[in-house]
Amino acid sequence: MNIKTAFFLAFTSLKRGNKGTLAMTILIMTLAYINIVFISSVFGGIVDAINTQSIDNQYSNIVIEPEIDEKYITNTRAINSIKTIPGVIGVSAHYIDKPFVKYDERKDNKDVKTGNWVLKSIDVADEKKVTKIHEAIVAGSYLEDNDRDQIIIGREVAGNYGGSLRHLSLNVLIGDEIDLSFKNGIKRTYTVKGIFGTKSTSVDQMLFITKKEMESVLNVHNLASEVLIKIEDTGNEDYYINEIRHLGLVHEDIKKWSDLMGFTSSASMSFAMISIILGVIGTIVAGVTIFIIIFVSVVNKRRQIGILKAIGMGDNTIILYFVIQALFYGIVGVILGASFILFVLRPYFMSNPLDFPVGWVSLKVTFDIIRISNISLITAALIGGFFPAYRGAKESILKSIWG
Amino acid sequence: MIIEVKNLKKTYEGKVPTHALKNINFNIKKGEFIALMGRSGSGKSTLLHQLGLLDRPSAGKIMIDGTNLMSFSKEQGSKFRLEKLGYVFQSYALLPELTALESVYLPLMLSNIDKKIYIKTASEMLKKVGLGNKLHNLPRELSGGEQQRVAIARALVNNPIILFADEPTANLDSESSKVILELFKKLNKEINQTIIMVTHEPDDKKYVDRVIWLKDGEIQEED
Ligand SMILES: Nc1ncnc2c1ncn2[C@@H]1O[C@H](COP(=O)(O)OP(=O)(O)OP(=O)(O)O)[C@@H](O)[C@H]1O
Ligand SMILES: [Mg+2]
Repeated sequence: MNIKTAFFLAFTSLKRGNKGTLAMTILIMTLAYINIVFISSVFGGIVDAINTQSIDNQYSNIVIEPEIDEKYITNTRAINSIKTIPGVIGVSAHYIDKPFVKYDERKDNKDVKTGNWVLKSIDVADEKKVTKIHEAIVAGSYLEDNDRDQIIIGREVAGNYGGSLRHLSLNVLIGDEIDLSFKNGIKRTYTVKGIFGTKSTSVDQMLFITKKEMESVLNVHNLASEVLIKIEDTGNEDYYINEIRHLGLVHEDIKKWSDLMGFTSSASMSFAMISIILGVIGTIVAGVTIFIIIFVSVVNKRRQIGILKAIGMGDNTIILYFVIQALFYGIVGVILGASFILFVLRPYFMSNPLDFPVGWVSLKVTFDIIRISNISLITAALIGGFFPAYRGAKESILKSIWG
Repeated sequence: MIIEVKNLKKTYEGKVPTHALKNINFNIKKGEFIALMGRSGSGKSTLLHQLGLLDRPSAGKIMIDGTNLMSFSKEQGSKFRLEKLGYVFQSYALLPELTALESVYLPLMLSNIDKKIYIKTASEMLKKVGLGNKLHNLPRELSGGEQQRVAIARALVNNPIILFADEPTANLDSESSKVILELFKKLNKEINQTIIMVTHEPDDKKYVDRVIWLKDGEIQEED
């Protein structure tokens, strides 16, 4: 095999051959590449948005729940020590109740709206370090530490701010009064102070009051139904869980956000599947395109192949001559495609993210996606180029020259 | 003897097998300029293909420069063609994307010769065939006769021990044909180049040392 001659012939062909064909081929390769990367990146972006949503508004990074058959986490000392672990940004303890909620608009016991929703209590300062619900207020304002008869509610409960479950809502506005009957039988009336709208339907079906208020209702002090923990380095939850266990929270149920996602994580799995399938199809299309282009080139150059063989060029050099051209198409496609993704599409979607129900979605172009796509497209070009080249090179000289 | 052919047979298999070469025996000495003549279909091209390792005989033996061609593997054949044989085909078998110079240095490049040397050697060879001023022309920028001379330069650039030519002037006008035949004659005289040329033109006889006549796949007479 004479590599130098193969390169020489391949690049002369590319240089002096039909420019239109060359441009079209490179365009197809570039589009095939963008197709593969774009789909994976959009799905990656969606999954990221779902994850961010869950971390920001629902679970934070780590959730501690009471040990089995216990109502509260009682090891207050350990809970208070969590924030001393380096890397922990915030710790927020919640009480949870599921009161019966009633809104009687004209106070005449007619046309009363009711429902059962999850009510959580928060320490306002702690909570702001752990979730971003305070940034999602769509009407009114967030709770303050001394609020007692004030409540903030999700838009799915309120019903007037773009939720998707309006028919089940209370249909209330800021300043309206709603009645809560707690599980322990206590009844209290609250004024709606704020309405929040995250992109998580389950969060938007919650109600929040202050910790002080809840402790007076439940008649408890410094306990917690759940504790949310925000850490510096998402992805490193296992390390922190281990540290937390060492503080003495041995039997409590400690989970990271991804374990709690259930439905959404299976959705991410489906997205991953879809992007693999589409990626494989895209790669095959690219491979077949290269196959056709090299096949046509081999057919057109049949006589030339015969002549090259007649003057003593080996079959392998001839195969390499065509494979180099195929590789060139693949590599240029990868370079142009990757540049377009990284320098055009990604910046564009960064500044203009797509508004998905799960959150703002932009492209998540990871090193892995780029690497796998590079390898796939170049391998497709290699295989697509090899087979027609092999067939052409193995034909007998006389057949090649005279048909 | 540079070529020795013994009991050479070539049959094209098919529904009706064609016995293109029946029982060929002849010898060619180094430095001879041979014309292969005969009617259309008599087996001239077939014989040239067997001698030039472009095809495999059905039976018999061909020795070139003391080497038995039958013993070659595909790769060895390829190497032998590159290093020892030169071809000129009927229609100018050039690669349309290569300039005259590139076409001619291609065999040298394949032989892993240094770039400086192959450019120099190829340029000189093109000068010898009278194309010193057309080194960078593509085939479409050359006349038929010029293209055929590029093909001849390419065939000769590796100093082959035998030059094969299958009706090299068939597509050329008489003026260009004359240039080619004179060139062959000159090469034959000056560097003692062995040449075997298939031709239809009875007039070409005056250029050659000897004519081998073929009829229905057999050698009819030599003169
Ligand atoms: N590939 C082939 N398959 C089958 N038969 C063939 C093949 N090539 C040549 N023949 C037959 O072999 C015989 C000799 O053909 P060849 O081409 O050698 O003749 P030629 O003397 O070169 O004729 P021409 O002067 O027309 O070129 C002819 O009968 C031809 O039909
Ligand atoms: Mg012929």
